[in-house]
Amino acid sequence: MEAADLNFQVHIAHWGWRIAWFLWFVGIAGMGSVAYYFVRKAALAYVIFGSLAVGLVLVVSHLGRWWNLPRTLWTMVTSGIFNYTSWMIVGIVLLSVHLVLSAVLVASHVPWLERFEWLKWTGTLSRANVFLAIYAFLGFMATVYSGFLITQASGIPLWNTSLIPVLWVVSGSIAAIAVIELMYVFGLVESSVSTLAVRLGIGLDAIKLLAVLGFLHVALAYGSAGARIGATAMATGEYALMTWGGVIVLGILVPLAIGAYTVLVKKSKALLVVSSVAALAGVFFLRAVVLLSGAWEPLVL
Amino acid sequence: MSTRLRKGEQPTKRMAHVWDASKCIACGACVMACTSTNNPDMMTREEVGWHSIASNIRRIDSVSAQGRPEVLLMQCQHCENAPCLNTCPFGATYMDDNGMIRLDPRMCAGCSYCVTSCPYNVRWFHPDSKLPKKCMGDTCLEFVEKGLQPACVQACPAGARDYGDLNDPNSSVSITLRTKRSRRLLENAGTEPKYFVVEGS
Repeated sequence: MEAADLNFQVHIAHWGWRIAWFLWFVGIAGMGSVAYYFVRKAALAYVIFGSLAVGLVLVVSHLGRWWNLPRTLWTMVTSGIFNYTSWMIVGIVLLSVHLVLSAVLVASHVPWLERFEWLKWTGTLSRANVFLAIYAFLGFMATVYSGFLITQASGIPLWNTSLIPVLWVVSGSIAAIAVIELMYVFGLVESSVSTLAVRLGIGLDAIKLLAVLGFLHVALAYGSAGARIGATAMATGEYALMTWGGVIVLGILVPLAIGAYTVLVKKSKALLVVSSVAALAGVFFLRAVVLLSGAWEPLVL
Repeated sequence: MSTRLRKGEQPTKRMAHVWDASKCIACGACVMACTSTNNPDMMTREEVGWHSIASNIRRIDSVSAQGRPEVLLMQCQHCENAPCLNTCPFGATYMDDNGMIRLDPRMCAGCSYCVTSCPYNVRWFHPDSKLPKKCMGDTCLEFVEKGLQPACVQACPAGARDYGDLNDPNSSVSITLRTKRSRRLLENAGTEPKYFVVEGS
């Protein structure tokens, strides 16, 4: 599709690969926190904390004026200006609290820290169902935020759909399941947990396939010119290989096929590694391709 | 001196830009005047995203369905329901009591949210300060404080540009909009822009 005023946001706003990695890490950490309520293993706590920390470093380093952040926050506090209509500030609060709670969870699992009497409360807290439920809810909300973050960018019509937060939650759940499968391969969770995760993953993969194709169909068939330009870039244009190869085949069909084989024939650790890595890659490519394909509405007289 | 509006406060003035497309000769004087006045360091540097001069006025060339060349001059619309105002996480973007959308550099961390939120694609990043620049620039704001017109209005040889208060029925912009056919861009975006394109008498 050609337009006189054709501008992709990645060339101007620069929301590209680094933001895609950030969204990927938030998805793993967010829905990983929901999974933690059921699995409660140290390795998962480490993955969540590590993902959040790396994701936050990436997003802060992406700021054009990161060096001005302390002054920005100081001016906000001293002048009493808090813009709670912005999903980004909601996300900053959510991710900060989530990071602190993740640190508490990690502290409760590190054996070396058990010698410190003053840290005993972390163990008590991290075994409490109420705490873990709040933690899971925060993780879920962090994933939802990472979707609404781009939905609220009203200049980019491709993104202005509530399907994106739903897609992010579904694909974040797939990423969390992939992490659990890898933990099983390394002997960190029981086989029964892995079996349940594989079955759950098949259902989520099917929903994700429907949601991705629905996202493309609605934008291509009924979207504005800007949305169609973005969806065309995804479906048949510059990023088609990433969409069909990375998101659909690698990220959905390969894990679906391996999941079906695991349920119907037998469980293979080697195949589960392939399935998990492919699923994680697909979750990343989904975020990358949606970001990179974002274009403005062409403006003509 | 103009002041920052807090949530719920209404501007006392509604300053608006008018571009008369029927008078415009597409000479580009407004674009050059804008950059040379507000960002003279960018006169010889390109805005890499737009592939054009880094200016607060973006020139869009197109061809009509009948094959006629057309030009559209795009700039900050100073929307009454500005999306950038809602998305800026740190409150760096604000509306002043003149109804102008402005940027407080002290509070900007360069996240680009205002850039992706603007349906009109009028913000550009200064390569050195990393600030998301747009109309009005600092020097034009000084002009306006002194009762002068912005650089683009002063420079236009065809008298195609104007700037004034919509709340004042006797202002030149109010008279123009009352007497000539005009429209706003992307009306269905719900942004309530204050940039008017005059199409004819």
